[in-house]
Amino acid sequence: MKAERNIAGLSCSQVLASLTEYLDGELAPDARAALEAHVSACEHCARFGGVFAAAVRGLRERLGAATLATDVGARLKTQLDARLARADGTS
Amino acid sequence: MPSSDRELLERSARGDRAAFGEFVERHSANVFRYLRWLASDPNDAEDLLQQTFVAAWGAAGEARVDTGARNWLLAIARRNASKLLARRGATREREQSLEELGELAGFGDAEHTPEQMARAAEERSLVEQALAALAPQEREILVLRELEGLDGATTAELLGLSLAAQKSRLHRARLSLAAELRQRLRAEVDR
Repeated sequence: MKAERNIAGLSCSQVLASLTEYLDGELAPDARAALEAHVSACEHCARFGGVFAAAVRGLRERLGAATLATDVGARLKTQLDARLARADGTS
Repeated sequence: MPSSDRELLERSARGDRAAFGEFVERHSANVFRYLRWLASDPNDAEDLLQQTFVAAWGAAGEARVDTGARNWLLAIARRNASKLLARRGATREREQSLEELGELAGFGDAEHTPEQMARAAEERSLVEQALAALAPQEREILVLRELEGLDGATTAELLGLSLAAQKSRLHRARLSLAAELRQRLRAEVDR
């Protein structure tokens, strides 16, 4: 763990704990301003904030699109047709 | 104009299999992705996918889906998957403190830069490996929030958590993901 610093009324641990709320725009304006003031003066927190945001962005961008493999879709259709037909008594 | 989920389910409830087929086509990729990451085993995920839509067909008349049916389907899928996960005892969360998780993710590491993380996160296979390495509860909340785009309140309701607990789980899951990506990045550098 790096040495804790206290800047703008926030410790580095408090910045670490608030990164998700910051990224999601859920911090109150004064808390957001304090975090930004801390990060602008704290190289470690600035670096880690960038690391954290890059990981989340990578997940969204790489795996964001949902696709169903053709064979999975075909099996789903076949199985559902059979099960619903049995449930309806039509087979 | 395509039919709404509500219209398709109303027709399904009257026995219209074509309408239900359209409904399945519309939602199966998202439901399968959720189940695939939750269940780990693709065969289990396929079974659960079928069970989800069979249950949806049976409950089509009672569905309240004014804003779209995806969340309703995810809730059905989760109920089925939860039984499977509970049987396997696979729902443990990590025990590290937030600071320990942060350290694993590179908090305080002057050598680990946002640019390095961005490069690692450009590789789909690395991101998939990192996500797969997480605990099921971590994977689940990341899929719901980051991939399905559910908001915090909807996710909390689906998972049966308070909003604060949902937020805490999401934060820990994001840190765990960053830690897994960092570990893989370092392994690549060491090779």
